[in-house]
Amino acid sequence: MAEDLVLDTAIRDWVLIPLSVVMVLIGILRYFVSKLMRSFQVPDHKIVKEGQVIVRARNLRAAANFIPPKSFRSRRVYFSNEENGLLFVPKGQAQNAQAQMFSDPNMAMDMMKKNLSMIIPQTLTFAWVNFFFSGFVAAKIPFPLTQRFRSMLQNGIDLSTVDVSYVSSRSWYFLNLFGLRGLFSLILGEENATDDTQRMMQMSGFGFDPSKSLSAEKDGLDIVQHEWALPKFEHRAEAVLKKLVS
Amino acid sequence: MVSKTEETQLNRLENQVDNGGGGAWEYLCLVRKLKVRRSEKVLKYGLSILNDSRKRSALGPEEWTLYEQVAIAAMDCQCLDVAKDCIKVLQKKFPESKRVGRLNGMLLEAKGSWAEAEKAYSSLLEDNPLDQVIHKRRVAMAKAQGNISGAIELLNKYLEIFMADHEAWRELAEIYISLQMYKQAAFCYEELILSQPTVPMHHLAYADVLYTLSGLENLQTAKKYYASTIDLTGGKNTRALFGICLCTSAIAQVSKGRNKEDKESPELHSLAATALEKDYKQRASDKLGLLTSALRSLKT
Repeated sequence: MAEDLVLDTAIRDWVLIPLSVVMVLIGILRYFVSKLMRSFQVPDHKIVKEGQVIVRARNLRAAANFIPPKSFRSRRVYFSNEENGLLFVPKGQAQNAQAQMFSDPNMAMDMMKKNLSMIIPQTLTFAWVNFFFSGFVAAKIPFPLTQRFRSMLQNGIDLSTVDVSYVSSRSWYFLNLFGLRGLFSLILGEENATDDTQRMMQMSGFGFDPSKSLSAEKDGLDIVQHEWALPKFEHRAEAVLKKLVS
Repeated sequence: MVSKTEETQLNRLENQVDNGGGGAWEYLCLVRKLKVRRSEKVLKYGLSILNDSRKRSALGPEEWTLYEQVAIAAMDCQCLDVAKDCIKVLQKKFPESKRVGRLNGMLLEAKGSWAEAEKAYSSLLEDNPLDQVIHKRRVAMAKAQGNISGAIELLNKYLEIFMADHEAWRELAEIYISLQMYKQAAFCYEELILSQPTVPMHHLAYADVLYTLSGLENLQTAKKYYASTIDLTGGKNTRALFGICLCTSAIAQVSKGRNKEDKESPELHSLAATALEKDYKQRASDKLGLLTSALRSLKT
């Protein structure tokens, strides 16, 4: 399979570049639309508290060596105490969070809106690409691929002898979908609603997040060995002063 | 806390604006970003921009942020009429805004009508129970009225929810020190050290509190924290150097009978004394005599 197909430069001008431009424009449009449609969600008081607890526990873990051992131990007990420790989440409560997430009408509406604003443009663009840009080879991927990818990447091309590196425009669409995220964060600043891939990953584990991270922090905290760094500092101070005085 | 480069930039801009060069708007933006409290200058230059209708329209949508900034500066300088005018303009533009409601509450506070301000703040909190700034204003009000224990209670409740807010921990520590509740102040400073372990100021304050609490263990710990401050500031912090000398002599006094020799840093005390003398010779040579006699009395 070593023959080199020569691809018309017109393909580059009329397929690859317009497709990228269209996707960028659609992304920008979506960003502004989502800004308009954004409803102000009152943050739940418990969720805020949990977030802050996690930050505090993380600080404790990170800087544990800077405070005296007694205070570290008392704080550790405060956090991971069995009865009323901050990080301790009894088993029953963990499930509740997720159920509550779906039954709360506001949250469900919000999630629906976010999902819709993501799904509809994707579907439309995908259909458009399929309709207009199928049936020909669009690009050649620089590295070799196995035969398994053939069905995914060579969708409109019905010749089975063409090397799998030659792909149709559908794969260019997917490439753009995942790759333009970096470009969007440059153009639109940090806060942009076009982080589809991240959102897709987040969709699966929503309500579970708080309690899982709490128990993760608790485990991390239990592991920490306290090694008081301060005695070392005395020696270092001596060295500093010696240099200063001499 | 402002970094050194930002501070020099701020001073440079301030000098430039003071001496008649342009750049008032950049100065105001920088003050707003760094959250520094330079109310007189902000008031003077902000008003000069706002009263000049040409400059004002050149700002575009930033005009309203400037109104808010000038209103707060005016309240700080007790020019309540100016503040009221600014707030009126803002209210006309944004009638249902929470930020304007907050400014109204602050105006009532500045006038001294505490009860009305408290009512305004509580109604704002009902709509939005997690607004950090309003909580902090309530604490400030309690403190201004002299109700320190109320301030402590409010601040503790605030910290139960927002426990990662290190500014609040700092405020609580200072309140505790003013009430001489040193153990609680030590706890707050530990929190500060945990969240920002490389800031020498926290180490220094913690060491001061430990030294005040006294007792052999606390004194030894205090000495260690003074040493860490010296390390973090490269030996330039005079207070820490003094702290080392005082701690060493206090430890020697407390453990007079016992044979607990400080094996960890035998030279630290003499080194600190030498560094202090050198520093004084450079900066305040007329007080050098006082210093040497004080250090000598400590050694005995």
